[in-house]
Amino acid sequence: MSLSPEKNKECQACEFEENIEILREIYFFSGLPMEVLKVLAYLCNRETFKQNDYLFQKDDDDSQAFYIITGKCGLLYTNRESELLIREYGQGEFLGGLALLGNLPRLYSLKALSALSCLILDRDKFSRAMQQFPELIPKMFKGVVRRIYAWENRLLVDYSACCESCKELIGVSVL
Amino acid sequence: MKKAEMQIPVAEKSLFSWVFSGNMKLQVLLIIIILITVFARVLPLEMQKRIVNEAIRLKKIDLLLLYCGIYLVAVFASGGLKYLINILQTVIGQRATAAMRKELYHHILTLPLSFFRKTQPGMVVSSLVAELASAGDFVGMAIAVPVTNILTLIAFAGYLFWLNPLLAAVSLSIYPIVLFLLPMLQKRANTENKKRVDTTRKLSSLIAESITGIHEIQGNGAYHIENQKYDNLVNKLTKIRIIWNFYRFGIKGFNNFFNSLSPFLIFILGGYLAINGQLELGALVAFLSAQEKLYDPWKELIDFYQSYQDASISYYRTMEYFDLLPEYELEPSGRKPFDLAGSLEVQELSFEPESGIKLIDNVTFSLRPGEHLALVGFSGSGKSTLAQCIGQLYKYTGGHVWIGEKEVSNLSKRDIINNLGFVSQMPFIFSGTIKENLLYACSAKIKEDGSDKDDVMPTLDDMIEVLQQTGLFVDVLRFGLHAIIDRQKNKEMGNQLIRVRRKFHLKFGKELSEYVEFFNENNYMNYSSITENLTFGAFGQESFSDKNLFKNEYFQNFLSENELIDPLLNLGAKLTQRTVDILRNLPAEEMFFEQSPISSEELSEYKILADRLKKIDLHQLSSDEREKILKSALRFTPGKHKMVALSENLRQLILKGRKRFREKISMYFPGAFSFYQRSDYIYNQSILNNIFFGKTKTNNPRIQDKIYQSIIQLLIEEDIMEAIVNIGMQYNVGSQGDKLSGGQRQKLAIARVLLKKPKILIMDEATSGLDNKSQARIQSLIETRWKGKSTLIAVIHRLDIIKNYDKVAVMKAGKLAEIGTYDELVESKGMLYELITGKK
Repeated sequence: MSLSPEKNKECQACEFEENIEILREIYFFSGLPMEVLKVLAYLCNRETFKQNDYLFQKDDDDSQAFYIITGKCGLLYTNRESELLIREYGQGEFLGGLALLGNLPRLYSLKALSALSCLILDRDKFSRAMQQFPELIPKMFKGVVRRIYAWENRLLVDYSACCESCKELIGVSVL
Repeated sequence: MKKAEMQIPVAEKSLFSWVFSGNMKLQVLLIIIILITVFARVLPLEMQKRIVNEAIRLKKIDLLLLYCGIYLVAVFASGGLKYLINILQTVIGQRATAAMRKELYHHILTLPLSFFRKTQPGMVVSSLVAELASAGDFVGMAIAVPVTNILTLIAFAGYLFWLNPLLAAVSLSIYPIVLFLLPMLQKRANTENKKRVDTTRKLSSLIAESITGIHEIQGNGAYHIENQKYDNLVNKLTKIRIIWNFYRFGIKGFNNFFNSLSPFLIFILGGYLAINGQLELGALVAFLSAQEKLYDPWKELIDFYQSYQDASISYYRTMEYFDLLPEYELEPSGRKPFDLAGSLEVQELSFEPESGIKLIDNVTFSLRPGEHLALVGFSGSGKSTLAQCIGQLYKYTGGHVWIGEKEVSNLSKRDIINNLGFVSQMPFIFSGTIKENLLYACSAKIKEDGSDKDDVMPTLDDMIEVLQQTGLFVDVLRFGLHAIIDRQKNKEMGNQLIRVRRKFHLKFGKELSEYVEFFNENNYMNYSSITENLTFGAFGQESFSDKNLFKNEYFQNFLSENELIDPLLNLGAKLTQRTVDILRNLPAEEMFFEQSPISSEELSEYKILADRLKKIDLHQLSSDEREKILKSALRFTPGKHKMVALSENLRQLILKGRKRFREKISMYFPGAFSFYQRSDYIYNQSILNNIFFGKTKTNNPRIQDKIYQSIIQLLIEEDIMEAIVNIGMQYNVGSQGDKLSGGQRQKLAIARVLLKKPKILIMDEATSGLDNKSQARIQSLIETRWKGKSTLIAVIHRLDIIKNYDKVAVMKAGKLAEIGTYDELVESKGMLYELITGKK
């Protein structure tokens, strides 16, 4: 929102349409018909963050999903005053889909590593919109389940038996 | 009367019980009028006879005039009285419908929760709204129609007998036959009617099925399969309908036939008697017309019989459905409501609903007054059900619950609401203001006559305290800040707010400039509407208000002169089409319309407009339609309405227009606008925008919080915070509270129960929908303010907030697995330990 006026003009010429294009590319929404995408694209907001701003912090229950339009941010694990960078997210990446589906106090923090512009959708809006299309909700769950499965599958490929103590912790896909 | 009514539940009342209850006087009046009417109906017959026999035969003009006069008066009187009867009948019918609707609704609200789980809201709605109407109409007729018609029949028949007993007996002989045969025919018609209803239901479910599965039908090209199913049913229905109508018209035809048979009997027998001189000609004429007049009351009686059938079917079907008793008395009988102590004793409690599964199985525990218990366990373990049994929402089927040494199942609802507060998992907020919802639980406590209102109702300070405790205070303050205050009522407040504005700009202006777009004469403001950008002021004359500006002739001319009208109409047309396209099928929930230039109420007219725009050109629209389009364009705010963009060209034109507009208005309509100035309060903008002297650009909750925190400080300094919170409490929460977020609704539900200060508090996962901070806030409120004062049973899903409870009870499969302090249970490494470590 703190984009300079010149930049703002260009962007606004196409913001709604751009939002639709963005949502179509995200696995979480890609199965949805255009009618629903339009509504979600309309309900989305764009926000900008300065470097070192937090998008959310540990224990927040902000219930938002983010798509990064420009810039970089980092997922941090906070442990007794120290922050451990887990990974970076950059342009075109989507995170927080699960927070749209149910209460999920954050286990990590998300911090802008540079000036950042995001497309944001929050749970309240999302779920009220989806209530209008209840028949589509199972479709969305399928996408999420596939994603969790793929995640753990990838984990198992990389997993080496050397980490004996981690054994207890894997298996999220058989929940 | 009233007591008797209390004893018979409404659902068990017979249809006829409504006829007199509450309408006694009207019904008596009705009967008197009917008696007069019947007399007025018979009188013309006698006059008819005398006119022929006396006046005409004896050639006496004065008698002719007299009899004709009486005839006329009688006709007038019976017409007028008939009208009066109809009116009375309607009044009685409507009153009966109203009484049924009220009593049934009052009854339904008290029914056990289990009933509502099985019942569709739509079913209750149609029962109350549609089904009872025909029963009510019948009640209106129940006395009037039979009494009028039977009396008329008897009067005419009596008159006939008086004229000639033999002839009368013969001509009336047809009616017993009709009375015997008619019900038989009607029974058949009823059977067919029931078949019709069933088949129609089947047909509609078939249609619903094929519409839902249309992709499958088209995908498989299975048209003929579905067509065949459908056609068969339609054919069946056609047959049934034909047979049904065959009987219905059969009844009518049969009735008509018999009725026209009787003149034939009269002619045969009466003619014979007249020829033989045993009957006067006048009497025969009177006889014929009396007989003819029998037809109407008879027909009405038959119709009455049919509507009785219909009404009683729909009445008893409806009532049957609600024929359940509330599980508890509403008011204690013969004593004052108890003031209960806060102790709780649960002994061998079990709850087994009709399904036969024990949801609660042999649970025993006790709490001292002021003790706090956390109920935990997996979902489905029965912890919510246990809380609901204690709170009298479910009637337990075995064992005991004593609150303050009184058995809960013997207490009335009034005892419970006076002593116990219940916050449910999915709290419900009703349409109305924040304040009304906040006072909901307290208002329910007031006696019906309102005598104890002052003792029960909280003060403004109490309310503000509870808002702070539950964390709603900032939200309500925010609603207040978004309100527009009345120029007349709040002059002083305006001045105070200008002082707040000055301080705000001094202290935070620079820091927050990135998030607030200040009103600036030379810039286009992206977060203000086109109207605001053009006029850059607040209207002072009604003809220039936001409601009227787009219709204002001077303003329209101004737009044309400054080459603004065409680009604005183009923008408005695009805006209309895009917005309608997105929102077309969404419900009228506030949330969907927050980012739309078209409100939910206007959507339907703009839908029509958008469809028109698809077919014809902008310049072909009527002037009304063009104004509507202009209206939407003038509201357009690029920072908020993202469906279209504002071209740079139009932006510049508007900025140019702003200067021209100010010059022109100052010259021709001084006083029509007060242009934005830092030193003036702007009365058509919200309090918040006034403090900003601009508008916020961000939706980011973190930054918004920061802004509100800085403003709160200034409001306290100026001592107007409470006044603004009070304005905020007038905020309308929308239908089912849809203008509030889920968290706000839940906090409001907690606040309204806390305000009641109950001795026993049951919270059924009351904080589960809240974010961590709010949850922690409520938790600490419970620990600091309520421990030792109110007994608390909290059903809790999250295990990290139960450490400070006096006791923790773990439920498993309806049984109480263990109970003790948190430390004890963790130490014993039982269920709780398993739950905690399993989670972690």
